[in-house]
Amino acid sequence: MNTYLSQVKAIVWKDFVTELKTRELFSSMFVFAILVMLIFIFSINLSIVDANQVGPGVLWVAILFAGTLGLNRSFTLEKENGCLQGLMLAPVDRSAIYFGKMLSNLAFLLIMEAFLLPVFMIFFNVDLVSHLTPLLAVVFMGTLGFSALGTLLSSLSSNLKTREIMLPILLYPLIVPIAIGSVRLTGQVLDGKSLADMMNWVGLILCFDIIFISASIMTIDHILEE
Amino acid sequence: MTESKPSPNPGQAIQVQGIRKHFGHLEALRGVDFELRKGEFLSLFGPNGAGKTTLIGILSALSRPSSGTALVAGYDVKEADPAMRREIGVISHASFLYADLSPLENIRFFATMYGVESAEERAIAVIDEVGLKPRMHDRVRTFSRGMLQRLSIARAIVHNPSILFLDEPYTGLDQHASGILKEQLQALHTDQRTILMTTHDFSRGLDMCDRVAIMVRGKLALWESADQLDPAGFERLYLEKVAQAGRG
Ligand SMILES: Nc1ncnc2c1ncn2[C@@H]1O[C@H](COP(=O)(O)OP(=O)(O)OP(=O)(O)O)[C@@H](O)[C@H]1O
Ligand SMILES: [Mg+2]
Repeated sequence: MNTYLSQVKAIVWKDFVTELKTRELFSSMFVFAILVMLIFIFSINLSIVDANQVGPGVLWVAILFAGTLGLNRSFTLEKENGCLQGLMLAPVDRSAIYFGKMLSNLAFLLIMEAFLLPVFMIFFNVDLVSHLTPLLAVVFMGTLGFSALGTLLSSLSSNLKTREIMLPILLYPLIVPIAIGSVRLTGQVLDGKSLADMMNWVGLILCFDIIFISASIMTIDHILEE
Repeated sequence: MTESKPSPNPGQAIQVQGIRKHFGHLEALRGVDFELRKGEFLSLFGPNGAGKTTLIGILSALSRPSSGTALVAGYDVKEADPAMRREIGVISHASFLYADLSPLENIRFFATMYGVESAEERAIAVIDEVGLKPRMHDRVRTFSRGMLQRLSIARAIVHNPSILFLDEPYTGLDQHASGILKEQLQALHTDQRTILMTTHDFSRGLDMCDRVAIMVRGKLALWESADQLDPAGFERLYLEKVAQAGRG
């Protein structure tokens, strides 16, 4: 168990050190997310529609698109110089590799979101500060599900030559329940409702988080074998 | 067809019986059998596409054989026991190194993956062994081919494996670098360590091995003790074997 944890930790640590040196992942995800938001800002007339209604959708589209970019990049790193094979040679439980990659993908996305939310607040002129705690909870639950499924699918598609295209094709249909749930919840939170009134949506997202994580643990052995 | 399984023999490091590997219609390995005693050095020759890399992939439990059995350090490769993985070190065409990390970060990372105790000290020790200590904080991306190859050795031996698989380790090295590599392989070749090396370089391959094998089209066309062979006539023998097996 101790080795297992230190292996997971080492994988996360390695991704962080790489990111601190290159800054490629954060900057590309963040810039891309901002661009997505800007495009929506210019195409939506905010004096007609209610920002609380359209804002959450735009926010989550930006998060999902930028997150996909990050997932692709994160597995490109493992593929360069055959590193993933090197990892597979080591006496590491395959689920430790999965958790390591999943946690670092999750952490990078959460950091990116921490910078994105203030920008979202300014662009859409919505008040996030007074609903901060429930909003962060929603963002965390949605991002957790996205990272769990995304890490699994990016390792699945990592052997395909068309990885950049296959990942979104596999990922977006399956992430729909979490995406819808997160958009709904974010909208209601911005309207000042409390999470306790929307337990069905919270339950739905948490269920899918758990399903995605357990499905990954069960299948990762077969997926990582060529 | 019934598969007879070799019985584990503590004197043997590698026992291979009837290994076959299909990739779709292509049969990359067509029944390979051999045994390698502990501490022996095998040089495996063979033309491009003969199946050498495929064999190493199976023996290091990266891919599974279509049929047949192989015991490495007494463990069945199909089970991919973590204890077996700890006995194996691999140097392959790819370096398995993270380009944006430094040598120290890379080797320490792999040491942790292998559960090596005091990973940091061990990493520094093996980096020193391959002569890269002065560069151990630089980014691996900036390294030359020879330096990468030396760092690959450090990565492969950080957990002190008893069996080493080397897939064309001399590729892309200049005379000086391959001289250094040869010295390092000699140092690694102790009684306790078994080495299987594939190469296209006859003189390097015949230099320090105990056993010589030639693989052609997925089968061993020659298996011989090194002292039974005349190095001067090896090239002719090789070409003969390749032509013979190519016809068969
Ligand atoms: N993943 C794969 N999918 C399909 N065919 C493969 C795969 N890996 C190897 N092969 C095929 O198996 C055969 C043996 O390949 P292998 O790489 O083992 O040869 P090799 O002896 O290492 O050659 P070289 O000297 O060029 O390195 C080749 O015909 C190759 O095309
Ligand atoms: Mg090869």
